[in-house]
Amino acid sequence: MFEIDFGNEGEVIVAGRLDAAQAERAQRFLDQMPTPRVLDMRRLEYISSAGLGVLLKTQKRLMASGGGLKLINVNHHISEVLRYSGFDKLFEVVAAEDRRPGH
Amino acid sequence: MGLMQNQPDLPSEALVRILDVTRKLAAPFDLIGMLTEVVEAGKSMLGTERGRLWLYEPKSHELVLSVPMIDPQVRVSADAGLMGKSLSTRQILNIPDCYANPYFNRAVDQLMDYRTRCMLILPLIGYDDSPVGVMQLLNKNAGVFDAGDELIAAVLAAQCAVAMQRAQMTEALLIKERLDKEVSVAREIQLSTLPTTMPHVEGYDTFGMVRPTAQTGGDTFDLVMLGNHLFMLLGDATGHGFGPALSATQLQAMLRVAFRLGADLDEAFTQVNNQLAEDLPDDRFVTAFMGFLDAETHRVSYHAGGQAPILHFHAVRSESELLGPTGMPMGVFELEAAAGGKSIDLAPGDILGLISDGVYEYANLQGEHFGEAGVAEIIRLHHDLPMSALADRLLREAVKFAGDAPQHDDITIVLVRRLPGTSAMQNYFGRSFGALDDIFAFTRHFFEHAAVPSSIRGAIDLSVEELFINIVKYNSVSVGDILITLKVINNCIEVSLTDFDAERFDSTATPEADIHAPLDKRSPGGLGLHLVRRMVDSLDYEYSNRQSTITFRKIMGKPHV
Repeated sequence: MFEIDFGNEGEVIVAGRLDAAQAERAQRFLDQMPTPRVLDMRRLEYISSAGLGVLLKTQKRLMASGGGLKLINVNHHISEVLRYSGFDKLFEVVAAEDRRPGH
Repeated sequence: MGLMQNQPDLPSEALVRILDVTRKLAAPFDLIGMLTEVVEAGKSMLGTERGRLWLYEPKSHELVLSVPMIDPQVRVSADAGLMGKSLSTRQILNIPDCYANPYFNRAVDQLMDYRTRCMLILPLIGYDDSPVGVMQLLNKNAGVFDAGDELIAAVLAAQCAVAMQRAQMTEALLIKERLDKEVSVAREIQLSTLPTTMPHVEGYDTFGMVRPTAQTGGDTFDLVMLGNHLFMLLGDATGHGFGPALSATQLQAMLRVAFRLGADLDEAFTQVNNQLAEDLPDDRFVTAFMGFLDAETHRVSYHAGGQAPILHFHAVRSESELLGPTGMPMGVFELEAAAGGKSIDLAPGDILGLISDGVYEYANLQGEHFGEAGVAEIIRLHHDLPMSALADRLLREAVKFAGDAPQHDDITIVLVRRLPGTSAMQNYFGRSFGALDDIFAFTRHFFEHAAVPSSIRGAIDLSVEELFINIVKYNSVSVGDILITLKVINNCIEVSLTDFDAERFDSTATPEADIHAPLDKRSPGGLGLHLVRRMVDSLDYEYSNRQSTITFRKIMGKPHV
C-alpha cells in the first residue's frame, strides 16, 4: 500500500511503502508539481532504492531551478537508507521527533 | 394344499392345537430338538403310539432316520417303498394294515423290535417344493386313521416342513459363522503384526493405522526403524477372506526378514515379488509401496508395485502431488531384477501419504468416491496438525462424505511428515514487480512467526526487494517463479532467493554506485545492491544444477551503526 497526496500547507504527504512497484506512481505525481518543497514522511514506513530513484530524479529537476526537497519526519529505517546511500548529503533531512537527526 | 378342497373342514379344536405347535416351532431350535418337537406334535394331535421322522439328505438322495436316532444310522433310498411313493407324489399315504401292503419295509420294525399295525405317512415338503423329509405316525390308539386325521396331518406336515427347513438353514448359517470366526482369527493375526507404537525419527512426525472392515480386505503397513533408516510399507492384497489376510501378513514378515538379513530395497522387492508369484494363485496379487527414508538427506527411495496414488504434499506451495506406481503389482510374475525404483525429496513441512484404496474409494450411497481431490483438500487444510490427528481427520471426513454407506474396504493411512524447521518458511513468487505485495505479506508473516525484531525488518525487506527486483529486471532469460526461503539460524536470519532453470546470474557481482558523487553525477543504478551490502552481514551467490541462489544473512540484535 502506498499513498501520495498534498497536505494542508502545500507539502507532499507520502504514506505506506514506496517500493519498486509503486515508484512509477510516485514519480508521476511529483513530476506534475512545479516546485515541491517539503516531503512529509511521517507515515512512510519503507523505502527501497526504487523510491530513492524517484527522490533523486525530482531533486535533480528542482535543483536545476534553484529549489530542493526537504524530507521531514523520517523514521529509523528510512534515515538508515538515506545515510547508507549518501542521500543525507543531497537532501535536507529532518528525522521524526523521537529520533535524533540521522547524522 | 389341494388336499383340503375335497375334505371336511378342519375341526376348530385341531386348528387351535396346530397353531399352538406352529408357535412352538417358531422358536429357534437346533435341528434335532426341532425334529423331536415335530414328532411329539404329530403323536399327540393324532393320538398314536409312536412317531418316526426321516430327514432327506439331498447329497445321497437318501432318507436318514433322525427321530428316534439309532446308531448305526438307518438309511433308505428316497425312492424306495411307501415313503418313496409319498415323497415323489407329495401325497399323504394312509396304510390301514401295513403287513398286508407289499411295499411295506419290515426291516425297520425288526430293527426296533416293534410291530406296526397301521401307519400315516406324511411327506415333508419345503416352501420351495424341495423334499425335507418324511414323518411316520404309527398305530393309532383307537383303530385306523380316517380322513379327518389325514387333514390334520396335512396341515401339520406343511407347518413342520417349513419349520424344519428354517432350522436347517439356521444350522448352515451357524456353520458359516464358525468359518467366519476362523477368517476373523486370520484377520486378528494380520492386524496383530502391525506396529502399535510409532518410531521416533528426529525432525519427523510419523503415524500409521488400519481400520479394518469386518472380514474382508488385506491391508497391511509397516513403519519401523531398520538400521538408521525409516522403513515404510503399505500393502493391499486383492480379494476377500483368508487369502488376502495371509498374503498381507506374509508380505510384511518377508520384508522385515529380508531387511534384517541385509537385503537392499531392490533386492528385497525382487525376492518377495518372486516368492509371492510362486505362492499366490494366478488371479491374486498384492499392491505395495515400500520405501526407506534417510532422515539426514530427507530422501525417500521407494518401489510402488501397482500401488497408487502416492501422495506427496509440498508445503511450499501447499499442494499435493499424486505419484503413480513404479511398476507392476507384486506376485503377478517373476522378476529378474527390480527396475524403476524412484525417490522423493521431502522439504520442510512436506508430507508423504501412503493411503489405501479404502480411503480414496470410500463411496457414498450414490456411488461417488471420496476421491483424490477429497484427500488432497483435507491434507491441504490440516497439514500442520500432528500426523495422528491428520489421519483421524481424513478418516472422519471420508466417513462424513459416505453418509449412511458402510465401509467396504480396509482403510490404511501412513503419514510421514518432515517437520518444518523451527522457523523456516518458503514460498514461490512470480517474476514481476507486482509480486512485491505478496512478498512483503510473506516476510511480515515470517517476522511475526519468528519474532524478528522490528528494527531489522526494514533492512531485510529492502534486501529481499533489491535482490528480487534485480533478478526480475536483469535475468529475463528465465521464466519460472522465484523461491524465497526465510530461516532463523541461531541469532541470524538467513534469506535465499532461488531461480530455477536459470543461467548464471550473479547480481552480487554488478558494479556498485558511487555514493560520494555530487548530485549531478548520481544515478539510481547500483544503489540497491550497495544498500543490501551495507545492511546485511553476509551475501553469497551459488550456481549449480541450473539453480541460481543468492543468500544473505542478517544478525538479530546487532547494535545499530
